[in-house]
Order: sequence, then C-alpha cells, then structure tokens
Amino acid sequence: MSDSDDGFLRVSDVSKWYGDEQVLHDVSFEMSRGDVTVLIGPSGSGKSTMLRCVNRLAEAQEGSILLDGEEVLSPDLDVDDLRREVGMVFQGFNLFAHLSAVGNVALGPRRVLGLSEREARERAEAQLERVGLGDQLDSYPAELSGGQQQRVGIARALAMEPKLMLFDEPTSALDPELIGEVLEVMHGLVDEGMTMLVVTHEMSFAREVADEIVFLDDGRVVERGPPDQLFERPEKERTGRFLERIASHD
Amino acid sequence: MSALGTLAPAAVDSLGALASGGAPSVAASDVAAVASGLVVGTADWWFIGEPADWWFVLDNADYLGVGVLLTIGLTVASILFGFALGFPAGAVEVYGDGLLKRAVGTVGVVLRGTPIVVILIVMYFVVGVPQINFGVASLSPPVVAGILGLGLRSAAYQSQIFRATLASVDDGQLEAGRSVGLSRFEAIRYVVVPQALRRSIPGFQNEFTIVLKDTSIVFAIGLAELLTRGYDLFSERTTAVLEVILFISAIYFVLTFTTNRALDYLGTRYAIPEGEST
Repeated sequence: MSDSDDGFLRVSDVSKWYGDEQVLHDVSFEMSRGDVTVLIGPSGSGKSTMLRCVNRLAEAQEGSILLDGEEVLSPDLDVDDLRREVGMVFQGFNLFAHLSAVGNVALGPRRVLGLSEREARERAEAQLERVGLGDQLDSYPAELSGGQQQRVGIARALAMEPKLMLFDEPTSALDPELIGEVLEVMHGLVDEGMTMLVVTHEMSFAREVADEIVFLDDGRVVERGPPDQLFERPEKERTGRFLERIASHD
Repeated sequence: MSALGTLAPAAVDSLGALASGGAPSVAASDVAAVASGLVVGTADWWFIGEPADWWFVLDNADYLGVGVLLTIGLTVASILFGFALGFPAGAVEVYGDGLLKRAVGTVGVVLRGTPIVVILIVMYFVVGVPQINFGVASLSPPVVAGILGLGLRSAAYQSQIFRATLASVDDGQLEAGRSVGLSRFEAIRYVVVPQALRRSIPGFQNEFTIVLKDTSIVFAIGLAELLTRGYDLFSERTTAVLEVILFISAIYFVLTFTTNRALDYLGTRYAIPEGEST
C-alpha cells in the first residue's frame, strides 16, 4: 500500500450469492490512487467475481464499494458512467471480432465519449502505439497472436482514459512465450502510475509490482498485505500452502 | 428448320417426366413428333420442344414479362417488409423478456404453422386490406394483401434466422462492449448485430429463394404473376406446356442465381479477415 490511504477504492463487507451458493463472504480491502492491488487465490475462490463487482459486470448483493467517494453498488448509479471510468481487460480478450485493432480501440471513444471519427481514430492509434502495436493498426483480431490481441484489449480500455483498470487474469489464456509482452505493457502502466486491480496467477509479477496482495479462498479474504510480508512470512497456514503449491508449478 | 424440332433420347425422358406433372396429352403429342421421323441432327441434340411452340412463348414474352415484374416486386417488397419486422422480432426473442417476448414467439409460431395460401386468403378476404396510393402509382388490394401475407410469413421465418445468429455471438462480445461504457442497446447495435448479420447471409439466401418461389401462390387472391401467366399461356395452347415451363424455369433460375450470387458477394465483401475470432 502507498504511504497514505486516500480511500480511492474502498471495498467493504461485499457478499454475493449465485442462487443459494454464497461466492463472496464479507470481502474488504482498500486502494489508494496509483496503487496496484493483486487478488490471488485458487480457482473458484471468487477473485474474478470480486473484480467484476467493481464495474458491475457482476452484482454484489451486500456490502459497499466506494470509488472516489461514490457508491458503486447504489441502484441509482448509471453503470455506463461507471464503466466509462473503469477499464476492464478480459481473460479471453473479447476483442470485437468484426473490427480491426483501431476499430476495437476507437469504438468506445467514438460512441461513448462522442469523439469524431477522426479524433477517435487518432486516439486509438496513439493507444495502440503505447502498447507496441503501431504496426498492426488495421489487423483484425483473428490475424493477431494472443499476446497482440490482449495488448489491443489493454489499449481499448486505456482509450477511455480510465481512473481504474481491472485485469481479469490477463495472461491465463496465453501461450507461455506470449505472456511476457503483455506483462511488459502492464509494467509500463504501473510505472505511469495507473491504479490497477489485478487478478493473476503470475506470482513474480505480483511480487514485483503490487503494493498489496489480497489472498482469497472460498470467497473470503484469508490474508492481505504487502508482497514481501505475504510471500515471505504468511500469517495464515492456508496462504502458505497456496503459495507453495503455486511455486512448485513455476 | 425441321432438324430444329429433334429430340435427343435423354431429352425425351426428361420431357415425359416434366409433362406428366401437368398435361400428359402434350407429352404424347411431342413424343409423337419425334416418332414421326424427324432427324436427330448433330448440332441440335440439345434442342427441346417444337419451334412453333417456342415462337408462341416468345410472342407472349411481354405477357410473361409483366408477371416477372410482379414476381420481383412482390419478392422485394415482402423480403423488405419481412426484414423490417423479422429482425426486431428475432432480437426480442433473444434479448427481450416477459410478455413481449412471449407474444412475439407465439405470433411467430402461428405464422410459421399456417400454410401461405391460408395467410394470403385471410389477408385478402378476411382482413380486407385497402388500396394504397403513392401519388403517381397505387397498389391494388390484392397486391397489398400479397405483400402483407408473404411479408408477415417471411418475417416469421427471418426472425428465426436472426434469433439464431444473434444468439450465436459470444456473450463476451456484449460484455466487452458494456465494459467500455456502451449501453446494452448500443453494445448490441455496434458489436453483436454486425457480426450476427454476417452470419445471417446463408439463411437469408434460403429465405429469399423461398419467398421468390412462393410468390406464385398469390394466384389464390387473383394476382397473375409469372407462373400463373405461364399457366394461362399453356391453357391456351396445350402443346406448349414444356416450352412455357422451361422458359419460366429459366427466369426463376436467373432470378435466384443472381440474387444468391449477389448475397455471396456481400458475404465475401464484408467477411471478417481470417474468419471468426475466439
């Protein structure tokens, strides 16, 4: 965590059920502006669900999520306004299959922000340059490698100039040799001071860039803290066991 | 000239098959013509029918031409009307809920389950549609009934084409659209629909062909389109059944072939490079 807690994102006692099954149990954590928080945990632990509650792609039934002082879970909130300010990068990329790289990135600026065709294209080109795809502007998703597709996905989210970026296992669907180029782009964003909430299994990345790690298991926050503490001296036995299991796969 | 009337043995077979559906007596007379000693010319093996009967068809080409125009007009108007209703109906079946979705679904089932001839008769004799005037031109009540009947039935079929293709687009596409702040409607409009329409082309080719051929059923409400006019012609000259049928078939073939190729072109023109992603 950074030196001071400015309460930029304050997740308090969030609970969620799918039917009768409770998938999140009173999850709480905070982030300051410019923080990088990484959610880790075994599959099915609720980390992706937690992430999706922040931009309301999933609906939490209880608790509170304050973003910049505004209640995200309020029924009166305009979810489109919220999502315009919160970027999302998906595990499966979810690029618009019928649009070129530029088309993918320009769609939000054009249709949501109301930029002109030319302005939206210029902005899209700039964002694609930023993720190192200046030479693939007019390529279609199916013509790109997984790593390139995910970088387009990142550019698409960045083009909305979000104040918070959500990453939902951005490298999990990639071949090992393509993971590096995506992490490199994410590193760059960290260096620029982007506020990022990341679900990932890339422990070395988490360790390197996270201000705080939140370990979720079975829908509960088991433990959270700075990476050094969590990786070197986990307080809970479950955390230690999970990290050992992950490490043995590396 | 006499050599022109010859028939290859294979053509005799197909002639018999074709004619037996309509007027057997004609088949007998044409086969008799072959039997009466006409020489099988080397260059004329492909020629089917009697020159005199072909001249009869060509002399009446203008009469058939009016039928062609009516066939094309009914088809185009019905397809457009069917699209205007069928596309939203398909979208409601995929994205709608509650009463509206059930109502649309039920109307579709009823329309698809009713013979087209019944729909046309209901439109004309029961609903009693009016004449529609457009200033310079006007549509007579049977034409209006034909367009409404064929169009409604096509809407019911088209709704299922679009229902299938809209549902076939991965949910992640809609979700990604929402994630950049598009409303649900905008995400469907800008992300899902362009992909669904591309996938609708093969189904749409089918539908176009079906509507084109089913326009002939407007004879039930007194309209004389291409096939009905053909029927009129060979009723007048019963030896020309084959010639009339072949001529009309060729016109139907040209119409379906060109529209199918045009839609093929559309599909290629707007194809997503490297095909579908994810």
